[in-house]
Amino acid sequence: MFLAWNEIQKNKLRFTLIIGVLMLVAYLVFFLSGLANGLASLNREAVDKWDASAIVLTEESDKSLVASTMTIDEAEAMEADKTAVLGQINAIARTDDQKANVSIFGIREDEFIMPEVSEGEAFSAGNEVIASDTIKEDGFALGDELELSSTDEKLTIVGFTEDARFNAAPVLYGDLGTFQRVKFGEAAEANEDQINGVVVRTDDISAVTDNSELEAIESETFIENLPGYTAQSLTLNFMIYFLFAISSVIVAIFLYVLTVQKISMFGVMKAQGIPSGYLARSVVAQTFILAAIGVAIGLILTLVTGAFLPAAVPVAFAIPTMLIYGVILVAVAIIGAVFSVLTIVKIDPLKAIGG
Amino acid sequence: MAVLEMNQINKTFGSGHKKVDALKKTDFQAERGELIAVIGPSGSGKSTFLTIAGGLLSPTSGDIFINEKNIASLNEKELSKVRLKEIGFILQASNLIPFLTVDKQMKLLDKVKKDNMNKQELEQLYEDLGITDLRNKYPSDLSGGERQRVAIAKALYSNPSIILADEPTASLDSDRAYEVMQLLRNETKNKKTTTIVVTHDIRLIEYCDKVYKMVDGVLKLHEQS
Ligand SMILES: Nc1ncnc2c1ncn2[C@@H]1O[C@H](COP(=O)(O)OP(=O)(O)OP(=O)(O)O)[C@@H](O)[C@H]1O
Ligand SMILES: [Mg+2]
Repeated sequence: MFLAWNEIQKNKLRFTLIIGVLMLVAYLVFFLSGLANGLASLNREAVDKWDASAIVLTEESDKSLVASTMTIDEAEAMEADKTAVLGQINAIARTDDQKANVSIFGIREDEFIMPEVSEGEAFSAGNEVIASDTIKEDGFALGDELELSSTDEKLTIVGFTEDARFNAAPVLYGDLGTFQRVKFGEAAEANEDQINGVVVRTDDISAVTDNSELEAIESETFIENLPGYTAQSLTLNFMIYFLFAISSVIVAIFLYVLTVQKISMFGVMKAQGIPSGYLARSVVAQTFILAAIGVAIGLILTLVTGAFLPAAVPVAFAIPTMLIYGVILVAVAIIGAVFSVLTIVKIDPLKAIGG
Repeated sequence: MAVLEMNQINKTFGSGHKKVDALKKTDFQAERGELIAVIGPSGSGKSTFLTIAGGLLSPTSGDIFINEKNIASLNEKELSKVRLKEIGFILQASNLIPFLTVDKQMKLLDKVKKDNMNKQELEQLYEDLGITDLRNKYPSDLSGGERQRVAIAKALYSNPSIILADEPTASLDSDRAYEVMQLLRNETKNKKTTTIVVTHDIRLIEYCDKVYKMVDGVLKLHEQS
C-alpha cells in the first residue's frame, strides 16, 4: 500500500486518467444493469407480484398465456395450496386525448392474485378496474372512462396499484365478467366459464394437475417465455459480461505499460533486496485502489443520472446487483494486474541497474 | 573472522569465441571495520566483482561467504533476503525511487525490514550528508550530487554489514567527493561495517585501509596502509 499510494499521489494526472476510464466502464456497466433490470420489471412485475410458484396453461399454448384457454371447471380440479383463475387479453385503451397499450387481467376478488390498492378503491361492479399506477405517466387518472380498441365496452379506473406491468403494458385488473365482456363481446354469457390460466401456490408443482392437456409452468420459466423477454435480457447481460472482459483488458494494458516504464526502478528495489512479493502486492494494491475509486465514482454518477432521467426511460437500479457487479469489476481489474505481476517477478535486478 | 570471503571465484560471460573471463580465480577477504578500494582500468572486471560480492550475480565457480554463510548456490529469493539484510548498495546510476520523497525512500525499507536506523541516527546521518533540508523533496528536484548523497543515506540506513559502492563519487565535485569518502570512512569505523569502493579516482584511495587493483579479471592487493 505504501508504494502504491505514494505513487498515485505523485503522479495524480496519470492515475486520474486510469480512474476515469474505469469510472466510465463502471458507469456503463451500472447503467446497463439498471436498464436490464428496468426492462425486466417492465415485463415481469405483475407476475412477481403474484408471488406464485407456478401457472397452469394448456399444453398446446406453448407457455403463452394469451394462447391458452381453459374452463373454470378445469381450474377447480387442481391440487394446490392456493389457486387463482386468470383471464388475460391485450388491448389499447384510450380516453379522448390519451391512449396506451394495456393488459387486462380478469380475476376473482377473493383469490390471492387480487392486487393491493394503493390509491382509490377496488373494483366492485362490472367494468370497473384497478390500473397499474404507471398508466398515470401516460396521462390517465382516477375516474377516467376508457374506450377499448376491440369492443364497445368501456372500463372505468376506480383504483391504482403499484408494480403491475405485464409484458411491457400496464395491467388493468377487473372481475372475470369484465374480462369476458371485453374478450367475447356479445358472446360473453356463452363463454362465462372461459379463462386463460390458473395461478397456483404450492410446494409440489408436479402434483398440481393430472390433466394431460394442461401443464404447470414454474413462474420463472413462464417469465422467460414472455415474448421478447429472454432475447432482451440475454442481449443486455452479454453486453455487461463483455464490459467485464473489456475492463480487465484495459486495466491489464494500462498497468502493463506503467510497469514496463518502471522496470529499472523495480530492478533497483530488487537489487536492494526488496522481495518481489512486496512489489507484486503493491501493484495489486494499486489496482485495487484505482478500481475501487473508479467503481465508486461510477456508482455515484449512475445514481445521480438515474435521479434526473425522465420516467419514460425504463431504468430501475437494484442496489444489490450493482454492488455485486462493482465487486466483479474490481476483481477483473485485479486479474488484469496479473500480467504486470509476472513481469515484475521476472525482472533481473542486475540488468535493470545496468551493472 | 571475515565478513566477506571469496574463494577461487571465476566468472565467465558468454561461450565459444565470445567468451569473456571477467573474473579469474579471485580470492578476497574483508574484515569488519575495513574500508577497501578497488581500482583498475575500464572493463577489467571491477563491477563484476562487486555484483558477485553483493549477491546480485552468481559466480561460474567458487564460494562466497557472507558472515560465514555460503551464498554461491542460493536461489534468487534467498539471495534477495541476504541483500536486504546484509548489503547496502551505492550504485553509479541513481538508485532512488522517483515517486518517493527522501524521507519516504528510507521509510520504504522500514516496510520490508527491521533493525534499520532509529530516528536520531537518521537525523545524524542526514546532517553528516548535508541533506536535512532535502528530506521532503523528490529525486527529480535534486541535483546529481544531492541524489548521490541520498543514495548513500539509503544504503547506510538499513545498517548493512557490507556496503558496496560502484563509483559513488563519480557525479560529485572533488570537495564533495572527499566529504563522501570521509563519511563512508566514519560509518565504517563507527559502525564496524565493511565498505568496498570501486573508483577511478586515485586521490580517494588515501581514505582507504587497503587498495586492490583489478587487471584483466585478476585481483591483486595493491597497497596497504
Ligand atoms: N552481462 C555481461 N555479458 C557479457 N559480458 C559482460 C557482462 N558484464 C560484463 N561483461 C564483460 O566483463 C568484463 C568486465 O566488465 P565489468 O563491468 O566488470 O568492468 P569494470 O571494471 O566495471 O569496467 P568499468 O570501469 O568501465 O565500469 C568486460 O569485458 C565486460 O565486457
Ligand atoms: Mg563498472
